[in-house]
Amino acid sequence: MGRNILRSPIMLLLPSILAIGFVIIIPLIFSFYTSFTSYKLTRPDSLFNFVGFRNYERLIDNTKFWYAFGRTILFLAVVLNLELLFGLGIALLINKITWGQRTLRTIMMFPMMFSPILVGFQWKYIFNDNIGLLNNFLYLFGYESAIPWLIDKYLAMGSIMVAEIWANTSIFAILLLAGLLGIPRDPIEAARVDGCNSWQVFKNITLPFLMPFVFIALTIRSLDVGRAYDIVHIMTGGGPAMRTELLWTMIARIGYKDANMGFANAMSYVSIILSIAFTYYFFTKLVAARRELGQQ
Amino acid sequence: MKLFKKILIAISVLSFPLSAFAVDKNFSNDKVAVWGDFSGITLDVKLIGGAPYDPLYEVMIPIWEEKTGGKVSILSKKSHFELDKEIKQDIAAGNISYCVVSNHTSFATQYGDIYRDLNGIVPKDFLAEFVPLVLDHSTVDGRLVQLPQHSDVSNLWYIKSIYEDEDNKKRFKAEYGYDLAPPETLEQWKEQAIFWSDPPNFYGTQYVGKEEAITGRFYELVIAEGGALFDENWKPVFNDEAGQRALQWFVDLYNAQAVPAGVLNYLWDETGLGFASGTVALNLDWGGWGAYFNSEDSKIGGDVGLVRFPMGSGGKRGGWSGSHTYSILNGCPEENLEAAASLIWILTNHEAQMHEARGGKLPTMTRVWEDIASEMDAEGNAFMSDLFSTFSASMAEDAFTPPLIPEWIPFSNIIFPELQAAIVGDKSVKEALDDAAKETDYLMQDAGYY
Repeated sequence: MGRNILRSPIMLLLPSILAIGFVIIIPLIFSFYTSFTSYKLTRPDSLFNFVGFRNYERLIDNTKFWYAFGRTILFLAVVLNLELLFGLGIALLINKITWGQRTLRTIMMFPMMFSPILVGFQWKYIFNDNIGLLNNFLYLFGYESAIPWLIDKYLAMGSIMVAEIWANTSIFAILLLAGLLGIPRDPIEAARVDGCNSWQVFKNITLPFLMPFVFIALTIRSLDVGRAYDIVHIMTGGGPAMRTELLWTMIARIGYKDANMGFANAMSYVSIILSIAFTYYFFTKLVAARRELGQQ
Repeated sequence: MKLFKKILIAISVLSFPLSAFAVDKNFSNDKVAVWGDFSGITLDVKLIGGAPYDPLYEVMIPIWEEKTGGKVSILSKKSHFELDKEIKQDIAAGNISYCVVSNHTSFATQYGDIYRDLNGIVPKDFLAEFVPLVLDHSTVDGRLVQLPQHSDVSNLWYIKSIYEDEDNKKRFKAEYGYDLAPPETLEQWKEQAIFWSDPPNFYGTQYVGKEEAITGRFYELVIAEGGALFDENWKPVFNDEAGQRALQWFVDLYNAQAVPAGVLNYLWDETGLGFASGTVALNLDWGGWGAYFNSEDSKIGGDVGLVRFPMGSGGKRGGWSGSHTYSILNGCPEENLEAAASLIWILTNHEAQMHEARGGKLPTMTRVWEDIASEMDAEGNAFMSDLFSTFSASMAEDAFTPPLIPEWIPFSNIIFPELQAAIVGDKSVKEALDDAAKETDYLMQDAGYY
């Protein structure tokens, strides 16, 4: 009996199961447990202070959390759509180029090579109201007012979105370019012979072929953007007056600065709903797009 | 061009303190020496970093390594806000076996009992040299958990020439009805800041606008206005009339564009460099910037004046104060304790404090206050003499610490977004303070104060 177990596939899978258990399952169970405690980082003994659903009950009444939740959805929606549009545009343009395409592809990837912290600092100083490049550039053209890019109710969030889009549009561009390179030429040429113009070819052939790539890119980026932290932390810290507070800047502040990790973990588990919702939606769309292409 | 000048100033401030002052490697003015043979010992340390702090390490740590044979391994060097987060994570992970860590009197109460009592580790006659009140503020639950390196309290720096200009004097008198002179009250400060402002080229004043920095500024204005943050039972009372007057002061300056538009993103570096760039008339700041403000590297070098923190309507001056300190952790191995004590001695001793005081930082040793004043008088350095007499008066008469309770930082994280919300007009002053008071009430209840 014992020998059968040792020979079974379980033995072969055991290293993977152990690795996943230690790296993913145990930390998840631990953090989920702490969301039912009053665990404070600076008071390790509070780990055993079980408070039931108190953290979750407080969360329901916490308007600041729900504002941050809403702001994160808005951030996700705007950033993902613009990255998709710009990424698609760049991919289509590069796909047309017959000379220097490799060089351009490499240049296009430059923003991805910077760490988000560097990107945050770079844009923080571009948007600085006093010594920032943008305001000083505007002064050259006679503009006489310092625009508070990182303070204003709308501009602050917009400035962070610009930084996020600048840093990550190339992910969309690369994935969509890979999709474009894989599109068979026959249907496009047949359509042109039948008299289709460029827009009709794009709409009826190129785009349907690209859609699986679009949804894969959207899924990956929605998980990334949903966890946006570094750039926001550096540029505004979620302020002023929580105008740019997203879920993870709020959770990090409560978890690490206030050391209130139990409550922060409760917030994290509620926040995961957002990632699950976006992932589920995009995967459903991905399956539908593949079915339309007859791939599944 | 204006931009390049500002960038050059920013670069030069980083290098200025490095080369400015030499130290006596024999430590001949130190009455107590804590040397030893620490060959083979490597001390793991985590330090506060940045332009105002690094020069001391760069001078003193190599001397310590040379004289003792020990080594210092800096595991981490970052701003105190970042270091605070790291220490909390270290406590949670049980990773507190390093020896020496930078600390602050406002932060120390949060961390529980992770620090050693320095009584018995640091020689008594060395401790006797410190200002007793500062040592008292370094004590938590009866244990001396930190050794103070320098103290901070703020006073008002101003550009002298604009106050001496006859045309400015006439215009100001005509508009406000009293003679132009550096402000003595918060009201005058506000009026003058508005008078000087010509945005975006020149601003009347500025303030640090986020995190604990703006909480502290608000706190000292509440005191100056005759109010308090908490009552005797630790219930929040900062939303009373004094608190509202204090917050209204920030709001009025912001609405009048008398402060830079991005001020709510400013911390100490931004305000210090901004004043040195010559684009701000009045700047509330600590003494540590003094030598730099008046140096050739600053655009206002030789044109800097200093007055005490103006009085509020409560007849008091602001005086939010604290000390940067060093602590030894419980996790530091016994065999390294003597070396750790020696290291914090060299970073806080007479020579170190004189070295820092020459740049304007405020000493924590009684004798250094006297010695630095004598040295500056002997050199005929009227600016630095004035700096020390002004700050000495503030430390003696105005200085007060924030409540030394573990809830100070969580409280700050509750109130500062509300202060910002009132300043940018998202909430009224009353609404913002009431909301902050309500949340603070929960915090204090949960912490078991009532």
